Amino acid sequence: MQRLVTNTDSINMPITEKTRLSDALEYVKQQYPGLHLEEGTIIAAVNLEVASLDRILKDKDTVSFLPNIAGG
Amino acid sequence: MRILHQIEYKPARVVGGYTDRILRVDLGKQKITIQELPPDFKNKYVGGRGYALKLIWDGTTQETRYDSPENILVMASGPLGNEPAFPGTGKFVVGTISPLTDTFIDSNIGGHFGPLLKLAGFDALAVAGISRKDVVILVDGDVQTISIAAAPVYDREIDEGALSFGDSLLKDINDGEYSDSIAAVTAGKGAFNSRFGIVNSLFFDLRRKRIRSKQAGRGGTGTVMRYKGLRGIVARSSLSKVNGNNAIDKEGVRRAGSQLKAVISKCDSQQLNMSTWGTTGLSEYMDKFHIFPINNYQYGHSPESSKLFAQVFLDKYFSKKIPDGCYYGCNLACAKGAENVRLSRGPKAGLVVGIDGPEYETVGAVSSMGIFDPHFVMEYSWYCDEYGIDTISTGVTISFFMECLQRGFLSTDDVGYELSFGNIEAADRLVHEIASGEGFGKVVGQGVARGKKWVAQKYAARNGTSEDAVMAELNKFGMEVKGLEFSMYITKESLAQQGGYGFALKGPQHDEAWLIFIDQVHKELPTLEDKANALKWFPLIRTWFNATGLCKLPWIDVRNPEAAKTAEPAKNLPTLAYYVAYLNATTGSNKRLEDVLDDSERLYILQKLINLRQGKGTRISDQIPLRAMGPVYFNEYEARAEYYDEWLQQQLGDNKAPSSPEQRHKLLMEKRIQAYQQLCDIVYEKKGFTSQGIPKHETVEKFGLTDEQARQLLKESGV
Repeated sequence: MQRLVTNTDSINMPITEKTRLSDALEYVKQQYPGLHLEEGTIIAAVNLEVASLDRILKDKDTVSFLPNIAGG
Repeated sequence: MRILHQIEYKPARVVGGYTDRILRVDLGKQKITIQELPPDFKNKYVGGRGYALKLIWDGTTQETRYDSPENILVMASGPLGNEPAFPGTGKFVVGTISPLTDTFIDSNIGGHFGPLLKLAGFDALAVAGISRKDVVILVDGDVQTISIAAAPVYDREIDEGALSFGDSLLKDINDGEYSDSIAAVTAGKGAFNSRFGIVNSLFFDLRRKRIRSKQAGRGGTGTVMRYKGLRGIVARSSLSKVNGNNAIDKEGVRRAGSQLKAVISKCDSQQLNMSTWGTTGLSEYMDKFHIFPINNYQYGHSPESSKLFAQVFLDKYFSKKIPDGCYYGCNLACAKGAENVRLSRGPKAGLVVGIDGPEYETVGAVSSMGIFDPHFVMEYSWYCDEYGIDTISTGVTISFFMECLQRGFLSTDDVGYELSFGNIEAADRLVHEIASGEGFGKVVGQGVARGKKWVAQKYAARNGTSEDAVMAELNKFGMEVKGLEFSMYITKESLAQQGGYGFALKGPQHDEAWLIFIDQVHKELPTLEDKANALKWFPLIRTWFNATGLCKLPWIDVRNPEAAKTAEPAKNLPTLAYYVAYLNATTGSNKRLEDVLDDSERLYILQKLINLRQGKGTRISDQIPLRAMGPVYFNEYEARAEYYDEWLQQQLGDNKAPSSPEQRHKLLMEKRIQAYQQLCDIVYEKKGFTSQGIPKHETVEKFGLTDEQARQLLKESGV
């Protein structure tokens, strides 16, 4: 669904030593206002592991914002 | 149509979701009776799965097998199964003794049959006996007759297909016209020639102007239907579907339904987007987290997987902008379909068909065969439905045999042709052979559990080794538990989902506990205690959905934003509150969620007792293949060595991991096996079972299930 808004599978973002996952979330929100990324409705993952929003990011980290998936 | 036996009846009116009647048909004696239920029956057994369980518990024995005359094929909706004002109704279950597991199986299914059977006056239909000639059952609430008729003969191709036969049957009994007041269930020739036959539920879709189908896919219910000589069942009622449950508090139903519809309307498009993608949206997420069951669950991720992602099916196949609910009023509407698809393979090559699906499970099944061709997915989905075979068990069994060749347990000579992962032509050929009961398909159609024995005998005889030794190896990667093939999720990295499959009473189908993301990705179940609690709670609430005639997806796949404010968001409790309100408004009860869970636990324990009676109810039956626990073969370990080494080091703490990769792999698997056994211990305790997985006396007693049969069974089990 998100790809329909972004038209891309991934984007790169510049980080500093103090960049947190929450900053990445804000960055994506600003880049793509059409995405629905409200806290509580998504999970955030770093390198395929769920992570808290205050986690400091490192170079080459891959960040994903995903819907909650609980069923089938 | 030649009527063999017919009775007249006056349909009972639905009141508060119930008619308090079961229609019983004995095909061997050609006898039709209407069983009036005492008032406390519904209080104790709820409906759907609960009714099927009680009928099987009372009406079959330890010796009953799928093809025994006394085996009962039950079709039952529940008190909430017919309400367009509430999303996700219309479900019913098909329950019976399974040809795969030899114990109780039920599979839930959408469409209009359950609601129409209810409007025609019955909470359930129970079919026993075996007819010597193929028949159909007609339940006609309009003309107020119930009939057993000789199965009509159209032409050979139509008669062999579940979809085409059902299509013809539905027109045949309505002067050549489709109608949404008539629905049917059918089983095709593949259901007779394999152990994993499905029941198709066929209904007229007013928007697509064609007959659509949903499937009760798991455990061989269609095989039982065909062995009874039963080709189809038709239910007809022209009564209004509005307020179909005839709720006690209609305004309460409207209010609860509006609340759920509002959440779906607001959130689905921001979350899994099932109203557009159906369930195929899951493929990408599963692949991303190494859960996609590629090459018989060896690898969870492939660069080729994107060929099977939702957007591909949306762009190439799905009809867009059609609300595809499998029953009226569902705004999740995830039953996607495609029109005018030209088949390119198999005996119907060239035919242009409408295809219902594919669902995620079918996509996953194709990936388990190492195939990443979306057109093959469409064809596979259609052929399996038309033949009446389960896309999951078919794919998992074929992929098991592919791996037998990969690892040298079988040769091409054994099969008669090349059968390797990714070989579309071979997989396609095998699907048709399974359906016809011909060639190697005759072996594959028996499923993985029996397939393992066949391979072991062949390999042992050829190599002079013991069958037990071969079986021990095949048990590592033969993806079945209790005789049922796994559904389409790799559980290696989720201990909770290993339990979700291992403890599932029917076998490893995810509808009892789908915990893989909550555990592996969300990390919401960090401790053994957390996992065990989830393994008790989720099967109970999910059982309730199968007892009441409801689809689970509007609850579990659309997260209510309010859930984030609760202690356990994964339970989606704010949405469950709408369901409890819907229940109370419909039936006039005053239940809390805790009461609902108690009702479910009674059914869960009853199912456990049936498993115990049928030899599938102890700890040994809950053991899962090593592949479900971790990278059982070195090639699987190597594919993610860095990840596994890190995992192992976390377990070892300050202790140093072995230096050689082979030793690390061995140690990792030992840790995984140990963890699963610890999980068994704690889960059994939570569920009120002994350490051998047998319900304790007090557990059975607590739910009022201690009849003479249960007493004797527990005594024989040493409890």
